[in-house]
Amino acid sequence: MRPTLSRLGRTLAVGVSGLLLLSACSSGGDTTAEAAGSGKPVAGGTLTTAVDTEPVSWDIHASTQDVTAEIARGVFDSLVSQDSEGKFHPWLATKWEVADDFKSYTFHLRDGVTFTDGSKFDASVVKANFDHIVAKETKSLYAANLLGPYTGTDVIDPRTVKVNFSKAFAPFLQAASTTYLGFYSPEALKAGAGKLAAGGPADVGSGPFVFSAYTKGQSATLTRNPDYAWAPETATHTGAAYLDKVVVRFLPTASVRAGALTSGQVQVAKAIPPQNVTALKATPGLRLISRANPGGNYNLWLNGSLAPLDDVRVRKAIQRGIDVEQDVKTVTFGQYPRAWSPISPTTPNYDKSLVGSWPYDPKLSAQLLDEAGWTGKDAQGYRTKAGKRLTVEWPQLSIQATREGRDVLGQAVQADLKKIGVEVKRPNLDIGTYNTKVYGGKANIIDLSWPRFDPDVLWLFFNSGSAPAKGGINATFLTDSSFDTWTDQGRSTLDEKTRADVYPKVQQRGIDLAVVVPLYTQVSLVGQSDKVKGLTFNASNWLTYYDAWLAEK
Amino acid sequence: MTASATVLAARVARRLGSAVAVLLGAATLAFLTLQLIPGDPVSVLLGPSNAGSPEVRAEIAREYGFDRPVADQYLHYLGRLLQGDLGQSYQLQRPVWSLMADQLWPTVQLALAALLLAVVLAVVSAVATAGRRPAFRAVASVWELISASTPSYWVGIVLLTVFSFRFHVFPVAGAEGFASLVLPAVTLALPLTGVLAQVLREGLEAALEQPFVVTARSRGVGRTAVRLRHALRHCAVPLLTLTGWLTGSLIGGAVLVETVFGRPGIGSLVLQAVSAKDMPVVIGVVLLSAFVFVVISTVVELLYPVIDPRLRSA
Repeated sequence: MRPTLSRLGRTLAVGVSGLLLLSACSSGGDTTAEAAGSGKPVAGGTLTTAVDTEPVSWDIHASTQDVTAEIARGVFDSLVSQDSEGKFHPWLATKWEVADDFKSYTFHLRDGVTFTDGSKFDASVVKANFDHIVAKETKSLYAANLLGPYTGTDVIDPRTVKVNFSKAFAPFLQAASTTYLGFYSPEALKAGAGKLAAGGPADVGSGPFVFSAYTKGQSATLTRNPDYAWAPETATHTGAAYLDKVVVRFLPTASVRAGALTSGQVQVAKAIPPQNVTALKATPGLRLISRANPGGNYNLWLNGSLAPLDDVRVRKAIQRGIDVEQDVKTVTFGQYPRAWSPISPTTPNYDKSLVGSWPYDPKLSAQLLDEAGWTGKDAQGYRTKAGKRLTVEWPQLSIQATREGRDVLGQAVQADLKKIGVEVKRPNLDIGTYNTKVYGGKANIIDLSWPRFDPDVLWLFFNSGSAPAKGGINATFLTDSSFDTWTDQGRSTLDEKTRADVYPKVQQRGIDLAVVVPLYTQVSLVGQSDKVKGLTFNASNWLTYYDAWLAEK
Repeated sequence: MTASATVLAARVARRLGSAVAVLLGAATLAFLTLQLIPGDPVSVLLGPSNAGSPEVRAEIAREYGFDRPVADQYLHYLGRLLQGDLGQSYQLQRPVWSLMADQLWPTVQLALAALLLAVVLAVVSAVATAGRRPAFRAVASVWELISASTPSYWVGIVLLTVFSFRFHVFPVAGAEGFASLVLPAVTLALPLTGVLAQVLREGLEAALEQPFVVTARSRGVGRTAVRLRHALRHCAVPLLTLTGWLTGSLIGGAVLVETVFGRPGIGSLVLQAVSAKDMPVVIGVVLLSAFVFVVISTVVELLYPVIDPRLRSA
């Protein structure tokens, strides 16, 4: 899920503040999805799920991985929970006040919450956990960024805490709803980072499940916490979870995951490959849930600061000269929808009006290239200007390129652009060279996706504060005052009206300036047995097991 | 007696010397690799999907000594190795040694089962077909060729599809009990079987041409008995050498097999470490492999004179 982060690792390392909101994976609330059960839930049974990635580190305060946060969600609770519309609901905090300047948040904590080792949850635990996240020794790679300009937590009384920031920090509630800012018991924190990262019973939280066992390379087991009585309002029931046990199996091979599902050895399998979807749907007793991921789509970013793409007409010609619809359909077996905006339709403040607004139009491309002066033609059929061929460079990183068939899609794009006379070169680079070239602004095209449940992801894409030189990912390499104004406005407020005004404008302008060519929206494809009821997805499309139960059949 | 003891001691000393050289070489190579990977070592340690704030990066640089000169780092690294300290996994924040110790047993189980199975199958196949009718031979060598050259990744998926997904005979994966060991062991054994059987058959056939076979037969020893008691012993040395060598390659095979079958083990540990660029773990596994290789080849060499008396005076 945090694919392209990889190529950015080095570049990003520099800017903490830019990283503030880089939650390529985030948000914690649960929503009842189409998977909501029919009939009366029954307690008991073991649900076995197959996932494709195994957490590298289980320490929620240190890890960057989606899969860690997804599995650990069952073990750790957060202050608030977020629903799929982006609204916040009480969880371990019953209510909260946000300072007008967004520099502090006061939370009133729920009474009677205990960790599964018997210790109590109170204000000092909140402080201990947040301080632990920012401590140097924790070597937090993600949670510390989610805490932004954190300066400390004041324990006002056992039931009240005030979290302080040095600057206005509007996204804090969203951050606080994620697993990454979940709470370890005081004893668990004392056990140290090594124990927490290793997984298993040392990871003690207050959630509906206990992390009872972990075999590296094989499986993780969660067991019901019978005393759980503080479910978030976003859940469909209260009290203990229905399932006795959840076993998460790590099966990286797609065909093995699918086979384990069809043969009934697991009841849920994540990351079903698009080519297996038809067969899976045809299997009696199984169904497929397909949900578009929120956040940045898989987009091509055109470098507007470097010739020949410093000419908007050439960029536009490329944007309209790619048959996105057809290419995406072929490569993803029709499972991923083509994209129209740099962000996906499941992201708040998505601009629907962009749909259909920039269809495939090679004739228009030809006309634009003529206007831009690329009127010559060489022996290979590529356009030329003053004897120079119209060539763009789009480097690839072999370890990432094959993901979701992106290499094949790249070839289709190459073929489309050849038709309008544009040569696309795709050198294969190692990660060091790739980062230097791409984030040094020396490449014409960059491809990346960035899942996250917040339109603030647009700040990362378009604001000059997110320029690669500052450790950001603004691959347009353009400084545009309207981009800056709108994305800054959006991130400094939670006011719905302002956000609904500025974010569509950003998407629109990105398309108009043709610095972005959205290709497809990533989709979570989850196969499950009909016996599984009530399995829900949160806003980030992660499975949540709390409301799930197994029908007897 | 004393003479042969001296010979043995010299041999052991020579082996130990070369073992140390191999391990030192492997350690140096591992260190150099980390130095040569493009990008600064902190980024490499952080792995592909991690950002790392300046504070975190400084902490890592300090912890691993990246702020010191390379020669200094190298000596420090070797010094630590000598004390048996393989360092700490960055991603898992645990000592590499304890990580490997946790994952070793499932891999050893798998490797031993596969090795045993491969040797038994190879011996049966070779003894049954060596010097027999050409049709037999042809069938046997075709099957051996196929098993030696089919990717184990694919074999594993086919076996799973048939025996686990279709007929539910074996569980998909894991390392819980004997049933979960069968398919992975077969998958890992098949390529070994092919190679071993081919070599063994050729050896057997050469041995069967020898005059001693005629002598034995003339004393009334049966055909199969000649093969098992006499000819097989002649092939034992090359078989042992080859088996030793192939055992070293088992860790490589285990990476694929453990991944396909979702089994714990060194293979899945190293795969995860490589994809997360967890270099301390990768280096640890490289050193472990080198160590296993050295131990096996030493044992194999020391076994030669036991098997073949002619080598004792050498």
